[in-house]
Order: sequence, then C-alpha cells, then structure tokens
Amino acid sequence: MAKKNTVQAPLTPAVLHILLALSTGERHGYGIMKQVEADSQGKVKMGPGTLYGSMSRMMEAGLIRESAKRVDPEMDDERRIYYQLTGAGRAALKAELIRYRGVVAVAEGRLAHGQ
Amino acid sequence: MGNNVKGRRYRKCYANLLQLYPRAFRDRFGEGMAQTFHDLCREHGDAGRGLFGFALWTFCETLVGIVRENLMRMNYLGKTMLRVAFMSLGLLMVPLVASQVVEGWNWKPGGFVIVYVLFFVTGMAYAMIARKMGAWSYKAGVGVALVAGFALGWSNMVHVADSENPANLVYYSVLVLGIVGACLARLEARGLARTLFAMAATLTLIAVIVPSGAPPYMARNMAIGHGLFVVLFTASGLLFRHASLAELK
Repeated sequence: MAKKNTVQAPLTPAVLHILLALSTGERHGYGIMKQVEADSQGKVKMGPGTLYGSMSRMMEAGLIRESAKRVDPEMDDERRIYYQLTGAGRAALKAELIRYRGVVAVAEGRLAHGQ
Repeated sequence: MGNNVKGRRYRKCYANLLQLYPRAFRDRFGEGMAQTFHDLCREHGDAGRGLFGFALWTFCETLVGIVRENLMRMNYLGKTMLRVAFMSLGLLMVPLVASQVVEGWNWKPGGFVIVYVLFFVTGMAYAMIARKMGAWSYKAGVGVALVAGFALGWSNMVHVADSENPANLVYYSVLVLGIVGACLARLEARGLARTLFAMAATLTLIAVIVPSGAPPYMARNMAIGHGLFVVLFTASGLLFRHASLAELK
C-alpha cells in the first residue's frame, strides 16, 4: 500500500518541478521533462534517472499516480504511460508554495532593513 | 541516417543499462524510461544535434540513479558489505601511499589485493559478530580480538616469507583455535572469553616451547611481540567475560 504524505516537509527541487509540471494535467515521462525545462526557462534539465527516481518516491508517498497508457497525438503512435497528480500531491504543492511565500516575505523584509 | 543507426545502438545500450535497476523499479518504470530515452534521442536527431554527448550524460545520470535505487533497496548485509568495502579501500590507502613514500616498500599488485581481502574479511567479521550483542564490552572484545588476530596472521605471514622457516606456521594454530572456539561457542560471550584465554595460553606455550632460531637482539623483540599479542588476547577475553557477566545481571 502506498504511504500517504502527511508531513509537509520541504520538497526537493526535482519533486517540486514534477508536481508543477503535472499541475496542469497528465503527462508522460518525456512530457514532464519538457514541461520542467519550459517552467524553469531551460535552467533545469532533468535526466531519466532523476525523473523516474523522484517519481518512484512520489508514487510511494501518494503524490502522483499512473494514469492510463495511451498514444500522444502530438508524437508518434507509441503508447505511453501517463502520470497525474493526486489530491495529496496538489495539497503538497500548495503547501510548498505557501512555505516559499513565507520564506520570500522574510527574505524581502530582511533585505529592506539592510538597505 | 547516421544518427538513426547510432540512436538504435544507444537505445539498445540504454535498455541493457536499465537492467541494473532493482527488479521492482525496473518492472514499474523500465518501459517508461526506455520510451523517454527514445523520445529524447529523436528530439536530438530531429534538431540535427550529435547524440554522443547527450547519450554519455544520460547514461551517467541514469547510472547515478541505479546506484541510488539499489542502495535504497539494499538489506542490512548489502549495506554493511558496501560500507566495509569502502572502509577497506580507505585503509588500503595507507600501504598504497606508504609504498610511494617509504623506500624499499615495493609490494606487487597481488600484495595489495591480499591486504584488501584481509581488511574486508576482518571488517565483515567485526560487523557480523559485533551486532550479536548490544553490550559495549562485547563489541570492544570482538574488535580487540580481530585486530590482534589480523596482526598476528599478517606479521606471521611476513615472518614466514622472510625467514622461510615453516616452523613458524605453528602460530596459525592460535588463529585456527580462535575460529573453532568461536564456532563452538556460537559467538556467546562466555564461550568467546574462554576461547580468547585459550588463545593467549597457546601463544604463550608456543613462545616458550618453539625455538625461534633468531639472534639475541631479535629474540628480545620477538618476546615483546609475543607478550603484546598475549596481552591483547587476554584483554579481549576479559572484555567478553565482562559482557557475559553483564548479560547474567
């Protein structure tokens, strides 16, 4: 049985990027990679080892799940495994964004005082 | 055309590389990873970019993932073996560096392999035996016994090689006694204490009975060496005795 992620610990950069990439809909491995690259304006290039290693842990934590295998109409006629966010995954992403906002607020406050 | 042939070859290599993932991981993600690699190869090919650099980077990146996934799924034995293997490698650096610095220290490659195996076997023996009991005295006893046993075995090996005197092989009987005693005692503290005392007594007996044939200045050093090993074996025996008494309380 998959472990559910109940502790809102900071997410690793790879996990955050994958959650972000899947936040707009289901994607297959290559699609996630391309979305991560686009989201980060080309600054993050994730290889298959990092991507699938992170996805394995995310599936164990119940953040994402496999979706149906199907053909990507924009690519060839090969059937691909798609992945999608779960409710826990969406909640983890929201919690992480709130945490980021908090960090940014503190940092901006400190920098403003320093000036 | 060239990129297609290369792409096919790289994809085949990548599929083979994926076999190194733990089975559960491979069964779940292997197909997806191979597909993703295929897609990436095609993207590079379509863009007219060379595949070699990309393939090399992806293979290395995947290899790191393979190591990580295997480490995560390793059981206690696997993790211990890996840890001991790395520690043995660290210890091997001592003779390796010394052979570069100290004059006359010219071991052949086989010598380093033997030392590495000895370090590894001793380290594994410690890891597997010391976990039998939580008492510090038991763990310390195992450590002292193994270090003394290793040193005795090693120094005797060097001594036999130098002196070419087969009579010195009798010292190995102390180690054999230790191994047999430990097996008979089933690694229980009480039995190990007796075994270590018996080893100390046997070594004393050998030192007294077997003529060393060494010149007087060497004989003094040998006596000190014997004394040191007897003290170490006795100390280990006392530590096991302490552990056995603590167990009874």
